[in-house]
Amino acid sequence: MVDYTPSELMAVAGAREIKDREVVAVGLGLPVVASFLAKQTHAPNMTMLFELGVIDSEPIHAGVGLADPRVWYRAKVLSSFVDILGSILHKGRVDVGFLGGLETDQYGNLNTTLVGDPRGKFRHMVGSGGANDIASSAKRNIIIMRHDARKLKKTISFVTSPGYVTGGESRAKAGLSGGPSRVITDKAIFGFHPETKQMMLMSIHPGNTVEDVVGTMGFAPVVPQDVPYTEPPEKEQLRIIREVIDPRKMYMG
Amino acid sequence: MNEEAHVEKLTTLAEAVASIPSGSHVALPGFPITRCAMAFAREVIRQGIKGLTISSCVGAMDGDMLVGGGAVERMICGGGSLDKFGRLNCVNRGIEDGTLQAEEYSSLSVAFRYLAGSLGLPFMPIRSLQGSDLIRQIKERTGSDVAEITDPFTGENWLVLKPLLPDVSIQVVHTADAEGNAWIMGPRWDNAEQAKASKRTIVIAEHVVSTEAIRQHAEQTVIPGLLVSHVVELPFSAHPTSCYREYDYDAGEIEKYVKATSTPESFKAYLDEYVYGVQDHWGYLEKVGGMKHLNDLKADPILGY
Repeated sequence: MVDYTPSELMAVAGAREIKDREVVAVGLGLPVVASFLAKQTHAPNMTMLFELGVIDSEPIHAGVGLADPRVWYRAKVLSSFVDILGSILHKGRVDVGFLGGLETDQYGNLNTTLVGDPRGKFRHMVGSGGANDIASSAKRNIIIMRHDARKLKKTISFVTSPGYVTGGESRAKAGLSGGPSRVITDKAIFGFHPETKQMMLMSIHPGNTVEDVVGTMGFAPVVPQDVPYTEPPEKEQLRIIREVIDPRKMYMG
Repeated sequence: MNEEAHVEKLTTLAEAVASIPSGSHVALPGFPITRCAMAFAREVIRQGIKGLTISSCVGAMDGDMLVGGGAVERMICGGGSLDKFGRLNCVNRGIEDGTLQAEEYSSLSVAFRYLAGSLGLPFMPIRSLQGSDLIRQIKERTGSDVAEITDPFTGENWLVLKPLLPDVSIQVVHTADAEGNAWIMGPRWDNAEQAKASKRTIVIAEHVVSTEAIRQHAEQTVIPGLLVSHVVELPFSAHPTSCYREYDYDAGEIEKYVKATSTPESFKAYLDEYVYGVQDHWGYLEKVGGMKHLNDLKADPILGY
């Protein structure tokens, strides 16, 4: 059996969600590893977008964020918000968006704005950036988040980026198509119930039980009768993550 | 035809800043920790300009400093941070204690508001914001900056945004001529739309060159000179943030800023030292280590940082 970390499994699970030739809007961190891994393995023709105007960069040094020119290195396009989030995303050309956040609820709504009571005492965090735009206009979204009851909550403090809003048809009624397709945590992978749009357990990472997964969430996901284990990373995928994509542990440190 | 600039736009930072009345709407060029109008922000604070509305797609270090320095009443943005260095402490504190009127959007919705302004359109439809608390909050706080309409062609409902028309946009650029024809290297995020939506633009250039030099590579001109009221030549004007292909960010100085902004008292001490305690940008550059230190930040021509 190959040894791997939960982060490596999350990156591999993210990569598996991307198909060749797809256009992917990426934030920093694990989504970058997942996207590069997909590109180096089964999806060589995918396109990677960063919101500020960067397409298909190939960083060789650790960046502190999207504003770091290290992240723009060897890009094929350096342009603007209107070009990336407008002409590509809003136009409907983004297949997959990768999103993280402070909190998510059972409908995959995401909070990156504040913690506490928005009408009382709260701490303001970072807000939307392009997250709301990606959540609204990508054909599907993948949420990557640490598995913790303080992050997977029944009610979140603020909906920065919409998932399935209040479930059922509410997202479509808000004028939006798409929506989150997967939530990848360090314990499990979730999808969404086709009608109620509630988060639904799809697979459990090896070494965890259904109780481990459900017992550390702030809401009860739909749990089908038979839940398989998540397929562990392949040797070659781990080699590419460790030797090619992230030898300096820029992302998985 | 060597002397092409007929209107004198070349000036000092102090004069360019003095052209901005208190209460103006200023579009800021920075993206978290890159190409921020830092020398501009320091000069605005030094001159005691107050009551500004600031806007940008993503809030950055220039806006945070202006808020911390007491120059800002209202901020229109799509969130913001200092990337891994930290959050916008001054902005966040202002939002939390209610002293800053924040109108929070997403990156694209602010970009579309500038775009509508840049094209002279009455409004811009957008798919973003719907089904979120952002739109609920914007409606509560502004009332009139968003609306819903029916598409006359399809009958579909659309959210529409009011154009943003800043009084002045500040642009930190690599190269410009005396007319303000300006080149920006690397990604431009919202800068071109900001300049085109604004009544006028102040260009702060790393290098001022002849118009002839601009004509040689005119396809690189992002901001046409006709939009520009003032041109200021000022090296390292984005310090401690970066300027792609010119200089890297100064991690030590950004960390100092983040620590200083953790409380109003410690930030007051920071302003006393780095803003009020120096006469101008040249004094500031000496303060942070002078040419020897700045030379270490110079970008590698292949890497761009």
